[in-house]
Amino acid sequence: MPNSVPPSPKHARWPVIPEDDVPEQPKAPPQSPSPWAWLNIWKDTTRSETDLLLFSTAFKLLLFPSYRSTDFEVHRNWLAITYSLPISQWYYDTTSEWTLDYPPFFAYFEKLLSIPASFIDPGITHLRNVNYDAWSVVAYQRTTVMLTELILGLALLRFTRGAVAPFRQRILSASLFLHPGFLIIDHIHFQYNGFMFGILLWSILMARDGKKLASGVLFAVLLNFKHIYIYLAPAYFVYLLRSYCMSPSGDILPTRFISLANAVILVFAASFGPFISMGQLPQLLSRLFPFTRGLNHAYWAPNAWALLTAADRVLLRLVRWSGMNVTVHEQGITSTSRGLVGDTVFAVIPNIKPIHTFIITIAFQMLFLVKLWRAPNYKSFVTALTLCGYSSYMFGWHVHEKAVLLIIVPLRRSLLAADSYAYFKTYMIASIAGIFSLFPLLFTPAETLLKIVYSLVWGVMVLRPLYKQVYEFPASLPWVLLEQLENAYLAGFALLQAFVLVFPTLSGEKPEVEFLPLMMTSVYCATGLAWAFIRLSIIYLKQQY
Amino acid sequence: MICSSETEPAQIVSPVPRRHLLQTSESLHWLRLGELSDYDGPARGISPASVASSSASAFPSSSASKRLSFSALLEHERIARGIRTSASLRRDPSDNRIDQGAVRRWVRWMHKHNLKAWVVPSAIAVSTWVKWSIGLGGYSGHATPPMFGDYEAQRHWMELTIHLPIQQWYTYDPRYWGLDYPPLTAYVSWICGQVGSWIDPSWFALEASRGTETPGNKLFMRATVLVLDALVFVPALYAFTRIWHGTRSSRTQHAALITLLFHPALLLIDFGHFQYNSVMLGLTLLAMDAFAVGLDFVGAVLFVLSLGFKQMALYYSPVVGAYLLGKCIYLGPNNGARLFIRLALVTVLSFIILFAPLLPPFAPISALGASISRIFPFARGLFEDKVANFWCFTNVTVLKWKRVFNGREVLLVRASAALTALGFLPAVVGLLWGSYKMRLRSPSPLAREQIDAPATPITHSIPFPVPTPTLPLLPYALLTTSMSFFLFSFQVHEKTILLPLLPLALLLSGATPGEEVFAWGALGNVVGVFSMWPLLKKDGLGVQYLAMVLLWCRLIGYNPFAMRLHSFVGLLSAAVHISMGLLHLLELVMAPPARYPDLFPVLNVLVSTPVFGLVWLWSIRRGIEVSWAMGGLIGSRADAKDKRKEEEKEQRKEREREKANSLSTVDSVPSLSGSGIRKDAGTRAQSLGFASGQDVLRGRGYRDPRRRALERLSTRAGNGEEGG
Repeated sequence: MPNSVPPSPKHARWPVIPEDDVPEQPKAPPQSPSPWAWLNIWKDTTRSETDLLLFSTAFKLLLFPSYRSTDFEVHRNWLAITYSLPISQWYYDTTSEWTLDYPPFFAYFEKLLSIPASFIDPGITHLRNVNYDAWSVVAYQRTTVMLTELILGLALLRFTRGAVAPFRQRILSASLFLHPGFLIIDHIHFQYNGFMFGILLWSILMARDGKKLASGVLFAVLLNFKHIYIYLAPAYFVYLLRSYCMSPSGDILPTRFISLANAVILVFAASFGPFISMGQLPQLLSRLFPFTRGLNHAYWAPNAWALLTAADRVLLRLVRWSGMNVTVHEQGITSTSRGLVGDTVFAVIPNIKPIHTFIITIAFQMLFLVKLWRAPNYKSFVTALTLCGYSSYMFGWHVHEKAVLLIIVPLRRSLLAADSYAYFKTYMIASIAGIFSLFPLLFTPAETLLKIVYSLVWGVMVLRPLYKQVYEFPASLPWVLLEQLENAYLAGFALLQAFVLVFPTLSGEKPEVEFLPLMMTSVYCATGLAWAFIRLSIIYLKQQY
Repeated sequence: MICSSETEPAQIVSPVPRRHLLQTSESLHWLRLGELSDYDGPARGISPASVASSSASAFPSSSASKRLSFSALLEHERIARGIRTSASLRRDPSDNRIDQGAVRRWVRWMHKHNLKAWVVPSAIAVSTWVKWSIGLGGYSGHATPPMFGDYEAQRHWMELTIHLPIQQWYTYDPRYWGLDYPPLTAYVSWICGQVGSWIDPSWFALEASRGTETPGNKLFMRATVLVLDALVFVPALYAFTRIWHGTRSSRTQHAALITLLFHPALLLIDFGHFQYNSVMLGLTLLAMDAFAVGLDFVGAVLFVLSLGFKQMALYYSPVVGAYLLGKCIYLGPNNGARLFIRLALVTVLSFIILFAPLLPPFAPISALGASISRIFPFARGLFEDKVANFWCFTNVTVLKWKRVFNGREVLLVRASAALTALGFLPAVVGLLWGSYKMRLRSPSPLAREQIDAPATPITHSIPFPVPTPTLPLLPYALLTTSMSFFLFSFQVHEKTILLPLLPLALLLSGATPGEEVFAWGALGNVVGVFSMWPLLKKDGLGVQYLAMVLLWCRLIGYNPFAMRLHSFVGLLSAAVHISMGLLHLLELVMAPPARYPDLFPVLNVLVSTPVFGLVWLWSIRRGIEVSWAMGGLIGSRADAKDKRKEEEKEQRKEREREKANSLSTVDSVPSLSGSGIRKDAGTRAQSLGFASGQDVLRGRGYRDPRRRALERLSTRAGNGEEGG
């Protein structure tokens, strides 16, 4: 790179720090770098890394017959669509109710997967074969999840090389690869998040290593796989614009700007090009962005709106009890108590429209983006990225609980960048609340034990060693109190889980209180996530970069 | 022990570690046989004080400080140097090339990061997780009416026990999964049935619930296995690692526990195929634990319970019986007879209590007869399906037994019984003979005279808490007998391989990769799982099979495809693993030809049986080695008594000499080397090395420091290879 580059992140220049574990073979002397050298991962993979890979593989194999959500059929249907229909009909087909609503790269990806699938079992790619769940399709689809997740593993492996704090870096990488979130969503519930976040982490890795163009291109690719990552786009935009396209003094570097813009446009052209040429763009966009859903998902994702909805319910009770003269929307009384999919209508509080959520989200994001603009380095970028995702999650319209991964995953990277106890505590609260908020996804009794035991063991393995490393004694009384309060909150999860387990038996499964455990989970998790959001925002805004 | 009357201060400062029972064959008892071992050195860093203490056993008379000679010090100096070298060798980076197994890496990591207290809970939690997720898969007889499989059998027993009076349990509709396990299974089924029908009565409605396969019912049944396993087998394993590996580091104990917790064959059968083997095995294991701490009565009762849970535990009974009888012999005529009578009483009583509801005051005698004939069905064939045992193997390769003995099945039964007995005879004889050789003698007048002498085994006056010398032989003997039953007995099922696999896994648990025990243990266990492949495939547990084998091999650090061609077992495992891989591949790509629909199970038998046979032979060989290391083989110490007398004479002489010249330290040296102690030290050290699974002379793998020291003593003349 030329010398006029703005100060590239420190990490890029850090030498490779030797591991405490002795690697399989002594480090070879530096050889002439081959362009494909990074692909040779086995060269210096330690035994413990291979252990983790094999164990996680074994665990995931064992989960093959576990519960599958409708997402499994969604993806099978997409295999069938992309295999049996010409590209022009992909976004028009309505044979199944699970129409294709991911961006084109994902459709191409499914097309790629469908070729071996039809070779293994033609039934998989048969369009009319709705709800096909033979062992062949289960094994095949679950295997593809496992294999594509290796992208994530690779990215994490690269992160551990040349890290500032090898121990912490390795434990966090391992914990991310074995994260209960991925286990619950990808390997039981069924989705391809490991693959997606793998691409995201590659992109972040490129940013760490100073290859910002590659970082931007990878993020554009990711956007064309799954458009939910658009939540993170503002941070990318600001970061790349400020640190790549502009010199530190603030002058625009036109060649860089143009090369970045061209690269991104090229990616989008490769993705949307065929559909634009067929004039299908409006149809495609209407599939990608359906604005017909309600504020909350069926089970309220634990964000600000869940808190607000719960507050509305409490207010409604209060109003009825005190007989205050407040207008109560009759529609709202029935709407939120059951949490059905559809429009959430408040009974007491004024209703929220999409535009409101949009404005609030943008407002919060601007706060962090301004900071990022002033301090455009890697550490700051990762935290801002996290916070961008976080504000979208907290205030977005119709957020799904699975989106909590958007917080947890980048948060881990930002934790690496800054390693204070305050960060760790934030991360701990957000992780625990986030993982717990995913529990209702698996409501079948057989998987209940699995999710609880796995998350507990994971927590012990990851949080305890880190805790011992970064613990700082709280300096004054308010901090002591705060610390105690947070610990009490975390301990409350055990009680909450006990309540969720016991409640259906005690209540006799009455329909009117059926929703209570879910609501409690949502509100409790939302409290923690909101608190972690506040913590992280304050830390970020106050921190000197 | 009398030595407590005058405990050496050096013992307190730096105690001589007690050897553990499994890996080496040096039991405490053996080490205390002063006239046999000329060296009783410490395994840890040496201090002058511990030199004094450890030389005490070499010098039969008490006050070691008085008798400390320079040459003895020199001796220890050298040993200590040897120990240090071996310790530094272990830290050598080149040693890292040996894959120590993921368990050890993980345990080391946990200990290093201050999570020592979390190792056992996390390991148990993860194993519970794995067990439960195996249970997500299929089970025996899933959706195959009208008879279904083992799952339905167990469920049916819960159904019939809660609805029928006890007298009818063994007679009710025997054609549809009639109860054919001993009463403890029935009682446990009753408890499970009661709990289950409290949750949902339709699961266990009499007759109406036959073939129930609802998700809720499956969940409940799986949960019963998990709970019983957690109540019996997991504590038994924990106790095992604490007791049998008691003298080893906590890391080794933890590693052993994890190795055993994830035992693939047992997990796949119990939590996949659906059975309650872990209860039976756990009870036997608890009995072993009880024997090791000297609680013989508790052990006997536990073993009776194990038998009462599943008659399969009979495979272990010859050895358990021989061990207890051997202990009676070992204790001598008086104590032994007393123990024998007590044991007999306890055993019979516990059997009576177990069968009480089927006995006369509560039921007609015919009830007992019915249950016995149900529990031991001699009416079935020689073997079921394709079992990797002698009969099925020879049936395929040599001659068709059923055709040859058509109409004369009784003969066949007798032949199989005789072969089985012949098969476990070495183990039984080894135990009995070992106890006889090392039996306690009543204190001789001389010994009473020098009653303050420490470390003289003759003066054990309180025999019960002292571990029996034959204890290290017990796992090998259990392996021999159960494998012999598996190979030669009548009416064997492929799941029965679990019984020999348990002692094999126990032996393996403390071994490190590179040892012979490890190589055989890992090979036997992997082939054991492989031999059940046809069964698992039928149950739809193929993925679980793959996952568990992968997981366990990686855990213990066993790479099936690594070539270890320098030893027989290495060659064997290379050949076996390659053929196993090929067989799996073949089965994956092609369907069996129509003429031989059973082609793959038969090939499986052909691969597995030789391995089991060799494991059986190996266990006998190891049994002989261990008993040699313990007390010498038949005839090798025929003149032991005379020798002992001579030594006593010599000691007396020496004491007199000592009285004459209390400072004659120089004189004592010839008394050490001249009294014939060293005569067989070389052979003994070598046999000891062999006994603990090592090729001492060729010097491969990690060596126990003490063994190195012993070897140094024996090859002092300069067997050059051992340069240190």
